[in-house]
This record gives sequence, C-alpha cells and structure tokens, in this order.
Amino acid sequence: MVRKDLLLEMRTRETVAAMFLFVVLAMVVFHYAFTAGGRGAPALYTGGMLWVVFVFGALLGLGRSFAHEKDEGCLDGLLLCPVDRVTIFLSKMTANLVFLGLIQVLAVPVFALFFAPGRIVAHLPALVLLIALGDVGISALGTLLATIAMHTRARDLILPIVFLPLVVPLLIAAATGTSGLLSGAPGGPSLLGRAAFLLVYDGVFLVLAYGTYDVAIGE
Amino acid sequence: MTARSQPGVVASAGPEIVAAGLTRSFGRRAVVADLSFTVARGGFLALFGPNGAGKTTTLRLLATLLRPSAGSVAVAGHDGRRDPTAVRRAVGFISHEPLLYRDLTARENLRFYADMYGVADPAGRVAELLERLELGHRGGDAVATLSRGMRQRLAIARALVHRPRVLLLDEPDAGLDARAVELLGGLLAEIRGEHTFVCSTHDLRRGLELADQVLILDAGRAVYHAHGTLDPGDVLDVYRERVREGALV
Amino acid sequence: MTVAARGSSARARPATATTVAVLAAAAAFLLADVLVGFLAAPTDASTLGFTQKIFYVHAPIAETALLAYAVAFVAALLFLRRDDPRYDRLGLAAVRLGLLFSVLVMVSGVIWGRAAWGVWWAWEPRLTTFLIACLLYAGYFVLRGAVDDESRRATFAALYAIVAFVDVPITFFATRLLPAGLHPVVLGPSGSGMAWRDLVAFLCGTAGMTLLFVGLLRIEMGIEALREGLRDLADRLEG
Repeated sequence: MVRKDLLLEMRTRETVAAMFLFVVLAMVVFHYAFTAGGRGAPALYTGGMLWVVFVFGALLGLGRSFAHEKDEGCLDGLLLCPVDRVTIFLSKMTANLVFLGLIQVLAVPVFALFFAPGRIVAHLPALVLLIALGDVGISALGTLLATIAMHTRARDLILPIVFLPLVVPLLIAAATGTSGLLSGAPGGPSLLGRAAFLLVYDGVFLVLAYGTYDVAIGE
Repeated sequence: MTARSQPGVVASAGPEIVAAGLTRSFGRRAVVADLSFTVARGGFLALFGPNGAGKTTTLRLLATLLRPSAGSVAVAGHDGRRDPTAVRRAVGFISHEPLLYRDLTARENLRFYADMYGVADPAGRVAELLERLELGHRGGDAVATLSRGMRQRLAIARALVHRPRVLLLDEPDAGLDARAVELLGGLLAEIRGEHTFVCSTHDLRRGLELADQVLILDAGRAVYHAHGTLDPGDVLDVYRERVREGALV
Repeated sequence: MTVAARGSSARARPATATTVAVLAAAAAFLLADVLVGFLAAPTDASTLGFTQKIFYVHAPIAETALLAYAVAFVAALLFLRRDDPRYDRLGLAAVRLGLLFSVLVMVSGVIWGRAAWGVWWAWEPRLTTFLIACLLYAGYFVLRGAVDDESRRATFAALYAIVAFVDVPITFFATRLLPAGLHPVVLGPSGSGMAWRDLVAFLCGTAGMTLLFVGLLRIEMGIEALREGLRDLADRLEG
C-alpha cells in the first residue's frame, strides 16, 4: 500500500511539491514579518515558527492523504481488500510520515540558511529527535482526522478546524523545545521532559487511532 | 418453473451465500429490513427494485463494506461479522465506479490489487487477465487515457484478479452505451459458470436471461422472491403491482 | 399518529415535573452559594481581596463544563458500542452545554483577571486549556454541520467527542510545561485551604451548577427528541 501511494505521488508530483513550496514561502513571509522592527528574528521565535510552518505544511499533505481514493471513488476498492482496517491506517500514516520527513529534510537546511546556521548544526541530533517525535504525532493524529474529514462536505476546511486544536499540546512541547535549543538555553532536563511528553502524546493518539479506526474509515 | 442447469459447476455441500434476517438501519429507519435468501453455488440472483430500495446496501452488506444492524450474512461458509477478511477474499465487487486509480497504468492498478489480495504470481496473473479482457495492448497506459468501456473491462479484471468464488455486481450497466452493455452481457455469460453471482440492475430482460433466482426489493423489504426460469412479462406485472413507483427497462 | 403524539406528551408530563424540581433545587443551591459566599464568608487575606469571591461562581462553572465533556465522552462510547441514536442526542446536548459553560468560564475568568491583576488575558494553564476546549468543541459543531449522511454524522461526532476529551488533560499538562502563571491553586497539598464557610459556599455552588447542568440537559434532550419526532413525521408524510 505504501508503495502504491509513493508511486502515485511520483507520478503526479502534486503533494510533495506543494508542501515544500509552501514551507519555503512561509519561512520567507515569517522572516519579513519578524524583522519589521529592523532587527533580526529573535531565536526565541524561530523555533515556534519552524513548527508552525511544519504543521501547516503537514496539513496540506494530510488533506491529500485520501484524495485519490475519495476523488476517484477508490475507497471501496481499498475496503474490499482482505486487510485489517488498522493496516490501512498504518500504511497511510507511513506514507504521510514519508512525505513530511522528505520536505523537512529539504526545509531544515533552508531554515538554517535563513535564520541560524551555527546553532542548528550544534544541536542537530536533539533537533532530529524532536522533529521525529513530533512528526509521528502529527501523522497519527492527522491521518485519523483526515479519514473522518474525507467524508465531510467542506473537506479542506474541516481538517484544519479539527486538527489544529488537537495538535496544540504537541506544538507547545515541540516548539518550546526547539526554541530552547536554538536560543542556547541549557538543554538537559527540559528537553528530555518535552521529548517524553511528545512520546506520551504520540502513544495516546496511536492507541486512539488503533481503537477507533474501524469506525472512522466507514463501515 | 424448472431450475436452470449450470454446465461445469459442481454441486457443493451448502449454499454459497446465506442471508438471514439481514437488516441495516439507523435509529428507527431501516434501509434494509429483515432480508433472507440463499444462493447456491453457481447460482445467479438478480436484484430488482426502484432507486433507494436498498439494492446497493444489500450488496454492500454482502461484501462486508457495511456491517448489518441485525441478522447475519455468510459467504462461502464464512460469517461476515466474525470473519470479514475471509469473506473479502472470496468476493469480487463490481459497481458503476471502476475503483481504479486514474494516474496509474492498467498494469499497475491490477498489480496493486493482486498484491493486496495476496495472489500467487501476481505478474503472471495480471498478464493473463489483461489478455483475457483484450486489454493487453493498453497495459502500460494510464487509466485516465482509457475509454469508458475499457475502464469497465479493467474494473472487471480487478474484481476477478483474486479468482473470487462470488461476484457482486451493483448496476454494472449504469452509464454504459448500448454496445458496451452488449459486451458486458457477453462477458458475464462467458464467465457465468465459474462463479456465483448476485447482480442488481434496472434492465429486466437482460437480468432475467442470466438469473435463476429473482428478488424484488422495495423500501428495504423483499416484495417478491422466486426461483427458476422466469418470463420478463410476468415479472414486470408483479413489479408494477407490488412496487409503489419507478419504472423498469 | 395522533395516538402516538398524545401518548408521548402524557409521558412527557412527569418528566417535565422532575426537570422543574431539578431546576428549582439548582436555583436554591446557587442562591445559597451567592449569599454565603458574598456575605458570610471572610474576605480573602491574599492580594486578591474581594475579587476572590468570584471564585464561588467561576470554579463550579469550570467543573460543570468538564463534567459535561465527560458525559459527552461516555455518551460517545456508548453510542459507538450500542448504536442507539439517543446517545448521540445526549452527546450533542452535553457538548452544547459544555461549550456554554466553558464560555462562561472564560468570561468570568477574564473579569476576575482584570479585577484582580489588571490584565485582560494571561496565558496560564487553566484558562488556556479552557480556551482550547472552547475551540475544540466549537469544532464539534462544525464537524456535525459538514456531514450530510445522518448515521455517519453521529459516528464522527462520537469519535470526535472521544478524541477531544482525551486531548483536554493533555493540553492542560502541555500548558504546564511553560512557566507557572498567576492563577491561584485551590486544592493544594495542604488540604482544601479554605475556611469552613468558604467551603460551604463552594460546595453549594458546585451542587447548584451541577443540578443546573442536569436540568438544562434534560430540557435539551427533550427538545432534540421533539425535533426527531417532527422529522420522522415529516418523512412519513412525504414518503
């Protein structure tokens, strides 16, 4: 299944390109928004900005997770296959994770270029950890909600409305962690605490998705 | 009324499809209410009824795309509620949507479904099906570039890829022109002996040509149920008599 | 059809009586709460002073909002398990009331903050969590409005109610990650920390608000049931 989604993406190149473009454009906009006062963007803001950009970029991609199935009526085709519903969830989530990870790999260097080259390199492993944990949460929650949103009328509006409030805790943990790293505050305990929180968050929503996915995908 | 004989089909121990008290409702409104019927192996059940009578819902219940609110359904010996995966393995579904990915090629589509169903030697099976449905020359073309009739043939290939024992067809002739309907009819006649069928359609004559069992639904309930060779005129009379509205071809 | 209508209104009468009784009890408790809290209980010794009194209204409302969400959560679980539309109605009514109470929490919280500390808004855990809760449950209604298919609508609403309820405590803990705010902690480790008259006022308030919630819930459920009945009649007349 993941192979099919990746194939489709390579063939149409719609989603990933749009996500990447959005992320870069957003960073440019933020740069101008933050430097309106004439000074450079403070490190304290850039961590949050990075995550805002990631979350909204992810939203673009998540909205499209089931686009092919829904627009072309293939959802039944998928549901008719003798696979566990949870397997469908996991493979969609994996595909979303891959897309998100891909643009992040490309976007983080751009971010470093625009905002803070030195410190990124110094704290790369910690940053990667935070990003990885955050990505899992975003993908799990997002895939679950995209499944529900797929059946609604204003599909593209509903997903952000239901997704954003639920992702706030993840955002708080990831953004404050990243800002802490970038502004040179001592890493240590608070970083660990945030990573642990993200882990718990991921776990909770994965379990929720696992338990409710049968119902969510329609039956 | 004599039962139509099926060349090439071995009589099996139990009926292939068993629906008992099948009901699907929300709150107090029932979309399908208390349906019971059986289809023997190799049989062909034709479903008729006006729009909204519950034909599509019934087929989706048989395919485990929906769960029954009450009652049970068993296909090829597997209970739909307890073992839906096994039922899905035994069932092929054809609806008026082709269920194909437009941006992938015909071959890739079939390969995807073959893999999902765990078909042995997927590449070989795909090639075989493309040949059989005369799509071999277009195998490498994206589905978006195929004509409607070809897409329907590919959809049939998709439904057959895992050699299902049962084929469910939901108004397969909807939206097709006369020639495509002819081809479809010919194709169905050809594979008639290899599978058990449940087919819903508005085309009374063609449906009765192939069927050995008829069920007419109205507002979720069965209003007429008969076995054997039937005369279209008789069935049309019964239909007009018992169904509140709607017309048949 | 006329017989059915007559029958249901006969059934409704004893239920209405109970509802009135519940609301009357609620009013009594709330009145006691205000009287005891504002007149009898001593003025708070800390910097909050007289403004602390608003606590007797603010805190019960907050608790009741959370109670409403919990009810919606349970109703959602039951709906998914039993497929009975009555649970969907219960969930809808509970969320509606929960949202109402949450908005009141925000309003009373903002008033309190302005009066006590001079700021209109502070990003501290409890207030922020309620803000997120407001947004979440407003989303519940947006979601319901966007699904055309009735059975799907109830299913998705139930799913959302479950996910939202799980998210509330998570959000609360997340906001705690940031440095502590100005919000006073009520039930600290050293017991309730309140004089007995305060306690009485507080409990009266809690009981009153809870009863108010139950009373309003019953009314809501009744209204929804009538609406359902009306829709059914309309369907039957048309079809």
